[in-house]
Amino acid sequence: MHLLNTNFFIFFFAASLPAVCTAQKKDTLQTVIVLSARKTINIAASPAPVQVLYKEDIDRRNSLSVADAVKYFAGISVKDYGGIGGLKTVSVRSLGANHTGVMYDGLVLGDAQGGQTDLGKFSLDNLQEIQLYNEGPSNLLSPARAFSFSSVLSLKTTSSNFKESEKKLVAITLKKGSFGYFSPAIYLKTHIGKKFKIGLNAFLQNANGHYPFLSYENNHLSEKRNNTDINAYRLEYDAAYGANDSNSLNLKIYYSASDRGLPGAIILYNSISNQRLKDDNFFIQSTRQKYFSLKSSILISGKFSRDNNYYTDPAYPNNYGKLENYFHQQEIYLSGVYKYSLNKFIGLSYGSDVYRSKLNRSDIFAVGFANPVRNNYLNNIAFQLKKPRYETFGNILYTALNEKVSAGKPGRNLREFSTAFSGSVKPFNVLPIRIRGFYKHVFRAPTFNDLYYTNIGNVNLRPEFADQYNLGITFNSNNSSFFSRCIFTLDGYINNVRDKIIAVPRQNLFQWSMQNIGKASIHGADAALHLALPANVIQLSSDFSYSFQQASDVTDKTSDLYKTQLPYTPKHSGSINLNAAYKKAVLSYNILMSGERYRAGSATPENIVQGWSSNDISMSYLLGNKVAQYKIVAEANNIFNTQYEVIRYYPMPRFNYRLSVTASIKK
Amino acid sequence: MKKNLIKILLPVTLSLFMLNACKKNDVAPPTPGPVALAPAVGEYVLSEGVFGNNNTKLSYHDNTANTTVGDFFLQQNPTITAGLGDTGNDMIIYGSKIYVVVNNSSVVMVLNANNATFIKKILFQNGTAPKGPRYAAAARGKVFVTSSDNTVSVIDTTSLTIVNSIAVGANPEGIAASANYLYVANSGGYNLIPDSTVSLIDLNTLTEIRKIKVGVNPNKIEINAAGNVYVSAYGNFTNIPASVSVINGSTNATGINLGSGFNYSHIRILGDIAYLYNNYGGTGTAKVYNTATNTIVRNEFITDGTPVNTAYGINIDELNGDVYIANAPSYTASGSVICFTSGGVKKFSFSVAPGINPNKILFRR
Repeated sequence: MHLLNTNFFIFFFAASLPAVCTAQKKDTLQTVIVLSARKTINIAASPAPVQVLYKEDIDRRNSLSVADAVKYFAGISVKDYGGIGGLKTVSVRSLGANHTGVMYDGLVLGDAQGGQTDLGKFSLDNLQEIQLYNEGPSNLLSPARAFSFSSVLSLKTTSSNFKESEKKLVAITLKKGSFGYFSPAIYLKTHIGKKFKIGLNAFLQNANGHYPFLSYENNHLSEKRNNTDINAYRLEYDAAYGANDSNSLNLKIYYSASDRGLPGAIILYNSISNQRLKDDNFFIQSTRQKYFSLKSSILISGKFSRDNNYYTDPAYPNNYGKLENYFHQQEIYLSGVYKYSLNKFIGLSYGSDVYRSKLNRSDIFAVGFANPVRNNYLNNIAFQLKKPRYETFGNILYTALNEKVSAGKPGRNLREFSTAFSGSVKPFNVLPIRIRGFYKHVFRAPTFNDLYYTNIGNVNLRPEFADQYNLGITFNSNNSSFFSRCIFTLDGYINNVRDKIIAVPRQNLFQWSMQNIGKASIHGADAALHLALPANVIQLSSDFSYSFQQASDVTDKTSDLYKTQLPYTPKHSGSINLNAAYKKAVLSYNILMSGERYRAGSATPENIVQGWSSNDISMSYLLGNKVAQYKIVAEANNIFNTQYEVIRYYPMPRFNYRLSVTASIKK
Repeated sequence: MKKNLIKILLPVTLSLFMLNACKKNDVAPPTPGPVALAPAVGEYVLSEGVFGNNNTKLSYHDNTANTTVGDFFLQQNPTITAGLGDTGNDMIIYGSKIYVVVNNSSVVMVLNANNATFIKKILFQNGTAPKGPRYAAAARGKVFVTSSDNTVSVIDTTSLTIVNSIAVGANPEGIAASANYLYVANSGGYNLIPDSTVSLIDLNTLTEIRKIKVGVNPNKIEINAAGNVYVSAYGNFTNIPASVSVINGSTNATGINLGSGFNYSHIRILGDIAYLYNNYGGTGTAKVYNTATNTIVRNEFITDGTPVNTAYGINIDELNGDVYIANAPSYTASGSVICFTSGGVKKFSFSVAPGINPNKILFRR
């Protein structure tokens, strides 16, 4: 995870980066730790809520994967089934995992099959930035597809970022932790000539994941989580050609593969699980960005991706003695956006995306599988008005989606308009306060699993619609005698989800069918505070987030589930991150908190899943000089050794540790 | 009403004498002769919960006080806080004990029939692999439990251990015992093409004699007063509908499909009267069918308009013919039990919260 972190952890103020951290004294010779990070996005000025974790923030949050890091965002609930290889999906503001799009270096990671990205799969070692857009992108030069989600989680890798300060770079990280965790990574970067740059990143992760937990039968540490092993690796190649950002060509080739056990819920008296998952993901993407003039620019992208996943249950009681699912997914994606600025304040863009998603199944149990192919055509118009005192951003997206199958009946072809509008004003000249709001209406298409999954799928499904209304206030001040930086955001929102696609039992409890019958009404508030104190011998900075979510199931007035909280949605949740830096050492203390939740079913005491909190400490120390550096990080997680669950009967790890050493040389 | 009572009472006492004869001593051979049933003082209700949630519940409703303890197992066994386990599919009373078949936990929990105190947990494992027990029946001092691993396990009711295993067809489900035979529904429900046979097992040798052809994906088995065997089947969920077949109890020849109009996956018989139902929503609660005269008594059992969300299980009080419907409102919400006269008029109801998906009602006498 800490591969290359030195590059982002450290500022060279002589370099071309804007010196936003006014409290930091300049030093061109020595490397200096800066706690309050460089910000590429002005969170407080954004008309729609945006949250960002930069490399140095991620490094200080005791996180193993993207799923861990985003727990620090307000308004996100992570379904964490525990362990290193366990499934981890996010729901932003209770809209459901299918409403969040995940972008990797500027382009959407397509998953037409399940529509829910397992964020536990993405390690943090090569990430420079994680951004969460509650409404959508705020950049006119964004692909149309980026506007098609209720919210967007954007991951930006370090490999795609070539800096003048690191013409040649080699970094090696070794990481060791509890439960057999071992992860080496290597990173190479070089500039060839003036315009050509290449980067290579290799990452390996291995763990047995056998962690002890208090047995549900006797409350002793008599059991260990089983079938938790994971073996994963990733290779990434990046190349960039171009004089500068306004005229560049980028190429990325990505391959990852994993083989893991799927630890199930702890079933009383029978906790052995056997199911396994192997997957591999490959994609190649290229982006060309060109500014014809200050007014006129274009972004053209292309991508091909291919994903395989192989699930097996070797204890399935059929006449083969096993169950297998072998799925192959392919996507071809072309995107173009043109942006034109009328003047300094007003800009317009038109984007058009075409992509074709294909799913095949090749196991012996794939009888009559539909092998669906979906062609998606997205056209988007966006506009922006940006004045110092007020700002608006809006878009209209038209989606056409055509479906074909090899067997049976295809899902419906869809034609839908989606819109979003946001704005912010700074009512007072003297006060650094902004009022902001947004509205977004968007849908999510039924996934291939929703439509075609054996026995469960329902080809008559309509899209699921989500409407979001948000009103907020932000405060941003960089200099006072009390703090060097203070950013506070508070947003209240109402979300309505209708025609929600949910599984309903059809013949019996083992036969379900997907139906458009769900309705959810969500009222919530997110608050976040970033505070950095003026530099002293010891630098201090902190982040706080708090979320309130009243997420009601309003599907059926006659049901006793009516107006009860959606499963696994805490009313109250929050996080605290405290950092202290002294010379070249940083100490961080992190707390994640969640109030009680209900598991699926009536809001009875029986169905309450207890609230929890996890307290983590991380320490890092930097050695060396500008050319050769070592960074040592020690992490102690769940220091109070508490036993908690995010999902009922999926016990989370108790106390555990990680150690990492990164050695890097750069020229 | 009275006519119904008499109609039901007579064959009931006859057909159940064996079961009651075993009350005092579990291994005692049955001595012929009817035994008078005492009125039920209360009902045990098994709720299977939600798969993977470890929330199988045993509730108890007291008829005199008209009170219900939702988690009666925990009240009676306060040290076993973990509970009965995951997905209790079936329970029977045999002799002085209750046998609770807990599918996903792969155990049979043995309780005292009088007060539900815990006696023993019988593990259903092949090495570390769970067998997945499903349904139980009792005869001749033994309890027989079907498991998804194509076996029927034989539990000795004195040692409370598995003493034998009978090989049957694929993924056996419902099971019923006649005087000489065990009938086991081979569902093959885990296969691409379901099974459609019933295994006929000799109670003397505890081996399968042969397989009897019935409807596709057989599920429940019930025996009427005349000893004929009724098998309800799920079908294949796509183009083959649910069906009911009858096996002649003396010839054990191929089952005769009752044909369209009998697309029911579930059946409960007391005496001559069969209650046919599907354990999911849809129209109607249960069809009432007279198996002696082969006539439909009523297409809709309920006559007073009492709403039932989903009849997830039906049991009948052998003494008075009262019909108890286990109602599962949404498969995730707490369930209830509604008691009707055999004429379909509601008598009373009670909630089994926190029990979800109640599926079986047994009578404490």
